[in-house]
Amino acid sequence: MAIAKTHIPRKFHDAVLKWRDVFLPDYGFLMDNWDRHFPREPRFEACAYRELGICDEIECGDLKGRPKFTRAADLDPEQAGHLLGAIRAQASTEFGSIQQHRLTLARAQDEKDQVWILRMMAEELRHGYQMLHLLLDDDWSCVSDTSGEQMVEEILSMTTGSHVLGAFNIDFDSFVDNATFCALIDRVGKYQLEMQRISAYRPFAESMPPMLREEAFHLAAGVVPLRRWMERAALGSHYITSADIQKVINKWLPRGLEMFGDERGGGTNVRYGLKPMKNAEAQDLYYREVEKLVRDLNMRFVRARLPELKLREAEAVLDEVVAERKAVQGIRWEDLVHLPHKHFFRRRGVPAFELTGWEGEAFADVDLYLAHLSAHLPDAYRASSDFRDYGEKLREVAAGETTAAEAAREMPALRRVGGACPCSKSVRWVAGNGTAGGAAEGPAAV
Amino acid sequence: MSDETAEVRIRPLQDTDLGDITGLDEKIAGEYRPDVWELRLGYYMRRDPDASLVAELDGAVVGFMLGEVRSGEFGLEEPTGWIEVMGVDPEVRGRSIGRRLAAAMLDYFRARGATTVRTLVDRDMEGIAQFFTALGFEPAGLTPFSKKLA
Repeated sequence: MAIAKTHIPRKFHDAVLKWRDVFLPDYGFLMDNWDRHFPREPRFEACAYRELGICDEIECGDLKGRPKFTRAADLDPEQAGHLLGAIRAQASTEFGSIQQHRLTLARAQDEKDQVWILRMMAEELRHGYQMLHLLLDDDWSCVSDTSGEQMVEEILSMTTGSHVLGAFNIDFDSFVDNATFCALIDRVGKYQLEMQRISAYRPFAESMPPMLREEAFHLAAGVVPLRRWMERAALGSHYITSADIQKVINKWLPRGLEMFGDERGGGTNVRYGLKPMKNAEAQDLYYREVEKLVRDLNMRFVRARLPELKLREAEAVLDEVVAERKAVQGIRWEDLVHLPHKHFFRRRGVPAFELTGWEGEAFADVDLYLAHLSAHLPDAYRASSDFRDYGEKLREVAAGETTAAEAAREMPALRRVGGACPCSKSVRWVAGNGTAGGAAEGPAAV
Repeated sequence: MSDETAEVRIRPLQDTDLGDITGLDEKIAGEYRPDVWELRLGYYMRRDPDASLVAELDGAVVGFMLGEVRSGEFGLEEPTGWIEVMGVDPEVRGRSIGRRLAAAMLDYFRARGATTVRTLVDRDMEGIAQFFTALGFEPAGLTPFSKKLA
């Protein structure tokens, strides 16, 4: 495969490095120890990559078979608008996840887990850099009054709470969040990158393969520790339990499902040749993939607890515990992790603000439902403003003071209130009740 | 027992295939080695997530093939597709699972610009040698050399 490497203009490149110094202060440690932890892998570099030799023709939608676009100005304005929204949202998520991971990075119990997350953070920085490259390398004035420079400035000014997508506005409470976020939320990212690799806009499509290769590592940075923790939990560890892991899965999976956008949408992106699947189709594949991940984690538990069993015997034990909800050879249903219902704890999409329980059960009373959520979510998260805001909005919906659709729209909105100097911190984003930026769930919301 | 009418689907390897591949290896080799396969799959997925493949039959993973396109090994400068690890569920052998995996992998290698595909086969594994011969592979001029260091 042929890869072209490039850098964004110097002042923006330097701005990203400054951003890195603030939000990724352990970058130096990562690079100093790279060869010890990743001896067979090329050293990280802050740059943009484009894969050459990708498919020349638009691969789906109304323009299927025509040459891919190389300039935003050649796209239909609405198509270009969707594309620009996707690039900006993607950039926001890449930088946003670094801000989240740094909160609890130091709490890792194992150095390997910590360094893997650190490398993942550096690669997220590169993914953000890649999106800035797309914003700066083309002229977007056909669809936006905001210049490329201003867009970069805006993205680098965002902090947790002001990012475009909900999942990137929630604080981490423990290192279990770091790993579970990689396993669940980066998995959504993998789907988005996979879909975007067929984009009718060639520079975007060319950006995806190198990002996907790095994303495979990000998934591993989450799944590998989760597997180890399930094995340790099976052996009675005092430092991690499957109940801890379950609660963190419950915290993130609903946000991951929402990142695909409203279950009724996505057709426009398909028609425009920007993605090959509608939202519900991609979301369903994701949910089934997480189901497989959960089974894998449970098999780790069973095999660690009962190492004398052969494969078939271990599978039979797991199947019986899950199906019958009874203890088999000392393993109880509660000892394992389970996939929450698709409608559990949702605040966007078709089931937004439904009172649907963890197993799909219906609740009629808001307080009972909030108590149910409290029992299934991590203690630290229950005390967060994110959960409080959700609870308050849920009461308003239940009381008929607002609709679920309105409540879903009232995420923190983004408003630019000042500053023009590129690379400065003079831009402020504030939460408001408008619809800009926060109204839709980003790249998959069409 | 496999259903002869069920459709075989070949798709790129996913990280969630680890449990299935570990299980296939256990069926073939009789040993549970999750850590070995975790490292191996991680390597191939980071190198090129599309190159390595699994075969599904009725939604169950029944075979896998790991490989990639590289240049520069042993002075071979041209882009070369390397087939490095494969396995097929003993219960579905005879369904051309390995052949389908190889065909898909070779197509991918071609699309990646590889002009040659190579592999190494243990002389004691006659079945594997026959498999590659049936696919049109021929003994190459390279001879593997090794020396015990312990």
